[in-house]
Amino acid sequence: MLDTPNSSKAVRWLAIVFFAGALCFAAVALLLGDVFFLRLATEALIFGGLALSVDLLLGGVGLLPLGQALFFGLGAYVSALVLKEWHDSFWLALGVALLVSAAAGLVGGVIAIRAKGVYFALISFGLAQVVSKVVFNTRELGASDGIIGVPHASVVPGVNASDPGGFFLVTLALIFALYMGLRYLMDTPLGRQLSAIRTNEHRVAFLGFSTWRFKLLAFVGAACVAGLSGALYPMLRGFVSPELMFFQVSGNAVINVIVGGTGTLIGPLYGSALLTGLRSVVGSYTVHHQIVIGLLFMVVVIMFPRGLMGYLIPLLQNRMDARSARTKGDF
Amino acid sequence: MTDALEWLQFVLAPQMINGLSIGVAVVLMALGLTIIFGLLDVINMAHGEFYAIGAYLAVALLSLGLSFWWALALTPVVMATLGYVTERGLIQRVFHSKDRHTLTLLLTFGMAIVLEDVLKIIFGANPMRIETPIAGGTELAGLFFPNYRLFVMVVGGLVIAAVWLMVFRTSLGAIVRAAAFDRHMSASLGVPVSKVYAATFAFGVALAGIAGVLLAPIYSVFPTMGRDFVLIAFSVVIIGGMGSIKGAVLAGLLLTQVQSISSLFISPVWNDPLLFGIMVLVLMWRPQGLFGKLGHA
Amino acid sequence: MTMKLIPALIATAFSLSAYAQTGPIRIGVVTPLSGTYAGIGQQVKWGLDMAAKEINATGGVMGRQIELIYEDEEANPAVAVQKAEKLFQVSKVDFLTGTVNSGSTLAVGQVAERNDRLIATTVSFADSITADKCSPNVFRVNARAGMQSAALADWMAATKPNANVFYLGPDYEMGRSTVAAFKSAAEAKGAKTVGEVFAPLDNKDYSPFFGQMRSARPTVVYTSVAGNDTVRLFTQMAEFGLNRNVQVVGASGTVTSQNLQAIGKAADGFVTGVGYSPNIDSADNKKFVASFEAANKAQPDLYGADSYGVLFFYKAAVEKAKSTETDKVRVAMRGLQWATPQGMKVMRAGDHQAMQDMYAVRVNGGKFEIVGKVSANSAIGPDTCTKF
Repeated sequence: MLDTPNSSKAVRWLAIVFFAGALCFAAVALLLGDVFFLRLATEALIFGGLALSVDLLLGGVGLLPLGQALFFGLGAYVSALVLKEWHDSFWLALGVALLVSAAAGLVGGVIAIRAKGVYFALISFGLAQVVSKVVFNTRELGASDGIIGVPHASVVPGVNASDPGGFFLVTLALIFALYMGLRYLMDTPLGRQLSAIRTNEHRVAFLGFSTWRFKLLAFVGAACVAGLSGALYPMLRGFVSPELMFFQVSGNAVINVIVGGTGTLIGPLYGSALLTGLRSVVGSYTVHHQIVIGLLFMVVVIMFPRGLMGYLIPLLQNRMDARSARTKGDF
Repeated sequence: MTDALEWLQFVLAPQMINGLSIGVAVVLMALGLTIIFGLLDVINMAHGEFYAIGAYLAVALLSLGLSFWWALALTPVVMATLGYVTERGLIQRVFHSKDRHTLTLLLTFGMAIVLEDVLKIIFGANPMRIETPIAGGTELAGLFFPNYRLFVMVVGGLVIAAVWLMVFRTSLGAIVRAAAFDRHMSASLGVPVSKVYAATFAFGVALAGIAGVLLAPIYSVFPTMGRDFVLIAFSVVIIGGMGSIKGAVLAGLLLTQVQSISSLFISPVWNDPLLFGIMVLVLMWRPQGLFGKLGHA
Repeated sequence: MTMKLIPALIATAFSLSAYAQTGPIRIGVVTPLSGTYAGIGQQVKWGLDMAAKEINATGGVMGRQIELIYEDEEANPAVAVQKAEKLFQVSKVDFLTGTVNSGSTLAVGQVAERNDRLIATTVSFADSITADKCSPNVFRVNARAGMQSAALADWMAATKPNANVFYLGPDYEMGRSTVAAFKSAAEAKGAKTVGEVFAPLDNKDYSPFFGQMRSARPTVVYTSVAGNDTVRLFTQMAEFGLNRNVQVVGASGTVTSQNLQAIGKAADGFVTGVGYSPNIDSADNKKFVASFEAANKAQPDLYGADSYGVLFFYKAAVEKAKSTETDKVRVAMRGLQWATPQGMKVMRAGDHQAMQDMYAVRVNGGKFEIVGKVSANSAIGPDTCTKF
């Protein structure tokens, strides 16, 4: 999937469609003077970043994180505090969020990485539960009300976070950078190590590699991706609340990844876009949107476990191979 | 000296005995979970929802005019059927894939989301209660204990003993343990492995249902009640050892005692972090938990 | 991605038309219709629907019909903000209400400021919303925590002077501050504190705290738990015989029509300070309760009554301002008096907090009997909002 060179053409094409499509969407929305849909799409991208971090662990290393919202929420709170109390600079907020996420990822990773498979999932879940409860009760952090009144961050002189179109493009650029970074990472020897660990951890250990170190690295990396994405949230919405760390967010991210296509990196982005839109639309029609999403998820798990991209990519690849074979003349 | 004795009698002892009634409830929940994992290798994220369904089933039966005792007898039967059908219909579909652990976890997670909302649709969002079937209390050595809680402890204890007996002292139990230990060998020896799996899942679900009925008069019934036991049940199962009945019982009783006694000294808001901390420490020291897996215990 | 384009196009086409000034007045409602607070959201919806129906039947507001547009906020501020923005931007609502938890109200208030619209809350009772975190675009028509404590402390000082009070609350910001607010009001009137304990939110079993409660020998137990937690606390206290010889009092959200049936007899004798009771003996209230019960097969509680009242508040303001423009309506709302099932309310201009008479109410056999009353002026407390 991530590592087979044959599928890279299809993946590249699908990624181009995604980012180009996003740009077209922005152009149309800007022309129409829209605010809501641009902000909704920005939110979808932000949660797409969280989904990327889940996919790094799940699709990349084979570890299922059920508490990734912890780092997302952490990044969000740090960003809100920096913007409100220190200086309303986009770069400063991102920078501090990155540092804090990396540190937290190190601490969390040391605790969680020792565990394998299901135990990892439950420790990740437990960590998020415990920390989110602490934040929920801490008055200095706004307790259950969260922090409101986060000022608009200025990205570059002239472009401000309150500008729906401008900020959408900024977010898109950041997510693009994260995506390309992870894509590149998976092609390096480090990335291949991670795939090998996912495939058969024991063998990797027998080959003389310290699996622990690589898994920890991946965990910290995923924490950073989640934290950076989270840092964008208060810039978009002007507030943070403890609900950003709750299991609902972690669970939604996992659903986004599975539906989009585990291990494809572009799948989680598609999944997040699709499901954020779906949740918004379905939620306006019925109170029982949880059932709809839950059933959809169950169907995907049972019948299409590789997710949307997991099926689309080989399909597309076959078509592309067939076409190139035809043009090259070898039948 | 008498101060210390008084403290032991009037503060510590009731705290421990109340902790015991909570402990029995936790063990019942953890037992079902650990049996399902021990044999089927399935992490049942929907276990809390089956607990909730058991409680709601009792509410429904009571509203039809049946007595609490009928509800207690019928609910496990209905829950077992529900469990059997769920296992054959849904879980077995993802069973044979390579990513079985992850997929069953995700599938049951999806089930939990759906079931919670279904309960809300059928019964409404407001809490409900079942009248305590045994009223009043007993005075023992100057301490007061509600009779129903004593009853729960006794019944819970009997159920736990029955489960242990069944698994370790009957031929049915032997078949279950064999299938857990080595699926293929058991199959080639003529054990109907799929049926055994489905029946085991049904059994675990029935245990959750019994817990639901027993605890409904004390803990009330509402759509999100499934979340009550998730963290603690999973922690107990992990600490005790996934698949170990002995582990679930000992860890369950011990941990609830730790929580009860510690709430005398530190704020109870530290209950969950304490539990989590213990779980992490145990995993670091013994990654497979205190005791082994079902087939091996 | 494409599926976002089409609604965007439609919405923009809509807004380009001159439909806005003569068509229906659109009011957005962002309220939890699923999740833990769904019961409260249900009462809010019932109250609003009934008010809208009555107002529309008598010609609407300035001849325009009211149209309510609902969105589910799932009691999550992140969702509330998204839905509120949708209502302001896409559905082009003139006014918004319905938020339940204070986090959502504060966050949606910010969205309202950005969109130059007004919102009113009918449920959130955190003092901060009309105190240190007040906003020029946020109004509150329901009583806040300080007012509820004032009514209850008053009653307690009169019926149980110098009582020994034991406090039990849920361990989170709201639970703790409610206990603290009542404690200071009670101690100022001579009560003594004999114990204080905080249980985790969603706590299953309160028996670990009963030892402490018993040995403190209180005459009054004050609690700020709510919803399912109340059902468990009260039934367990009854189980252990702790509610005999003790007066149980608590916050206004502790016992409501959502959990009253589940608590059953264990709630009898409970007293609280609240801004509404279905047993208020006035012609207006009797009529309101009768229509409410006929339409919804359930009694109204404070959330339903206050949500019913908010539309009349808005109607009065728009008619006084003769416009739906935000700035004009805001000016009209400040100092406005309007009629509600619980009597006349006045919207204090300084902090956008409604003033009303407060009641001490006792639960008895499924009814909320009135056992005390405190006038609006004594209950309201000082205006600490400095933002406008």
